[in-house]
Amino acid sequence: MADSRDDFIIAVRYALLKKGAKQKFSLFFLIILSVLIITLDRISVPFITSSRAIINDIVYHVAVVVSTPGKFVKYIGQVKTNHFYIVEENENLKKEIKLLKLNRYDNLFLKTENESLKQALKLGGAKNRDQKSSVRARVILDQESPYLKSLLINKGTKNNIIKGMAVFSKSYLIGTIVETNYFTSRVLLITDLNSKIPVVIQDSDVNAILVGMGKKTELDLEYLPNEFALEPNKIIYTSGKAGFLAAGLPVAESYLNKKNTVHIKSLADPRQASIIHVTEGQFNK
Amino acid sequence: MSILSTSKEIFFNNIAAIILYIVSFSTFQGLKEIPDLVIFSFNLQMIIVYYYVLKFPDHLGLGHIFLAGLVNDVVIGIPLGISSLSYLVLSFLSSYIREVTLRSKMTSEWITFIPALFFSNFIYYLIINNFSHLSFYYVDLLRNTFFTFLFFPIFYFIFNTFHTKIYKI
Repeated sequence: MADSRDDFIIAVRYALLKKGAKQKFSLFFLIILSVLIITLDRISVPFITSSRAIINDIVYHVAVVVSTPGKFVKYIGQVKTNHFYIVEENENLKKEIKLLKLNRYDNLFLKTENESLKQALKLGGAKNRDQKSSVRARVILDQESPYLKSLLINKGTKNNIIKGMAVFSKSYLIGTIVETNYFTSRVLLITDLNSKIPVVIQDSDVNAILVGMGKKTELDLEYLPNEFALEPNKIIYTSGKAGFLAAGLPVAESYLNKKNTVHIKSLADPRQASIIHVTEGQFNK
Repeated sequence: MSILSTSKEIFFNNIAAIILYIVSFSTFQGLKEIPDLVIFSFNLQMIIVYYYVLKFPDHLGLGHIFLAGLVNDVVIGIPLGISSLSYLVLSFLSSYIREVTLRSKMTSEWITFIPALFFSNFIYYLIINNFSHLSFYYVDLLRNTFFTFLFFPIFYFIFNTFHTKIYKI
């Protein structure tokens, strides 16, 4: 019994402290170093934060170079897939244009009526969503991990990007800035589990929290009233509550899936985003 | 000629570290890039670390494992040092298994990969849960761990063949 315990201790000690020709550091030393780094990162000392921002910038740029061959292969695959769908999409778009043309006249009338009613109520004219101060950025890395659904963009604090800014792709909200470095920033996508956006559902006054579930077609609404049943084809807008995002930004849409159950999908496709707009105009100050 | 052979030798001696860095920088997750095979994501870093520490510890320095972990943390966007610690725990278990094993067999090394994976992932999740406010897709992670274990023999065979061809071991 004592012998086997001694053998165990010897083997553990050997595994932890052994150094070889290639091993310049012992395992024990590196484990202690890792724990130290985790602790310092957790404490968020200003020196560590700025060092991390520099490391992030360097690593992100190297990662962009390393992932170029993979990106190219992915691009070829996407081109092939797009080719097959483009004819069908064209047909659908033609039908949609016809429909939209009909709806446009209705909308123009409603807009005029809305403006005049607001003026009558002295609420002032409808303000355009202020995108004057928007920053145009390019997605440099969009590798998805099982941990975070995020994008890296090529603009950072140098371009006045700050944490919490809203990020748009093709006029739709795709996420918010969660990490800023000098040259780069990280965007947390609305499809991520950590993303929680206060929303309101079209044709109702029901408020909820839109939560990502990892996929574009699988968003979820939390804190819905028990008696409320979500109908398909309803647009979900930001409610502007909690002073985070401006109200009225279209984010998602409900739809019927193949099993005839109502699901929620993001209006934007974060994986297809290449040029994005970061704006504080949408940010409630 | 000698410069060429020297650089070739350096390249082949450090191939494991090179692959480890490439995988960490590109956050490679196996077949996840192919839409139809998205389910088969696996952690190649863990396979490389376990295999090389177990079979050829002189071909993969612990410093490289530590640095690759840091790179992985930065690229993925999780607190620094978590992947490093996870890989080092895997290295420790792998090193321990090497010390206590008398006769090396693929099947026994495959089976011992289960507790090694379990402990390194356990450390990983423990720190993530206590040192960050990130939420996780536990099913995805479980699936990733399962396929990492499942694909181990394939890479075992590939690495073994590579070393047999290069070093005639």
